[in-house]
Amino acid sequence: MLTGDTDQSILSVAVQLCKSCGGKLFVLFVIEPNRVSRLASLTHQKVNLVYDKTEENGWKLLYLAEDEAVENGVWTSLHLEEGSLLDLTKRYVDTYQIEALLIKRKDESKKIFVSSSIPVIGL
Amino acid sequence: MQLKISEYLKPEAIIMEIKAKEKLAAIDELVAHMVKNKLVSDGKEFIKALAKRENLESTGIGDGIAIPHARTNAVQDLLLAFARSPKGIDFSSIDGKPSYIIFLIASPENQKSEYIMALAKLSRLLRKHPVREMLRNAKDSKEIMNIIKENEE
Repeated sequence: MLTGDTDQSILSVAVQLCKSCGGKLFVLFVIEPNRVSRLASLTHQKVNLVYDKTEENGWKLLYLAEDEAVENGVWTSLHLEEGSLLDLTKRYVDTYQIEALLIKRKDESKKIFVSSSIPVIGL
Repeated sequence: MQLKISEYLKPEAIIMEIKAKEKLAAIDELVAHMVKNKLVSDGKEFIKALAKRENLESTGIGDGIAIPHARTNAVQDLLLAFARSPKGIDFSSIDGKPSYIIFLIASPENQKSEYIMALAKLSRLLRKHPVREMLRNAKDSKEIMNIIKENEE
């Protein structure tokens, strides 16, 4: 799971993890409207400008993940959604029968650790 | 880095009505069209690279869009191609729906950042519903080029 403040380092870990256990990799980038608005306010930028940058960065992270996954022979599925990280996490776990979550973010990940029905690996 | 998709899509890389009915045949047809127009030197190698991706992921990103793509030295520079299927093609999209608009992206192995940037920009552009509708209804390749030029940032 990726968000606006995720860096690339999580991608290699996710790919290697899937490679070592023969798993499939679902990469989800979540655009959180509240976070976008807050960032726009803090940086004195227009909300739509910050949204556009976040989305473009999201696609870049997704395709970087995919590129590395393909090089390692790992099956991948890319997703970009707007909404609550917590709600989307639950929906994806149910829809795609995800068996483990990999996340790198301090604040929100605490809620995911507590509420998740499957193992969560925090980086 | 400011990359414009419209600068990499040439009119001769546009198929207004693709004949193929399934994804690998569609890729074959697009590549054959590009080879015919001398945009790709090694069609076989190009198809091999694209097929490798298709086996490991779904390039159907939903909303009637598919973006088959690959990094391969079968192309000399970043390259885009466009095809439209009136009846839609099953690209195993994440939403289960057929793809009506197909964008193919390829770059040489050593142009990873341009390749990622082009994929990101195109994916973002095609998330816009009005753009998808305009592309589906465009009359000719000139109109396709204009839609992209006017809507990309």
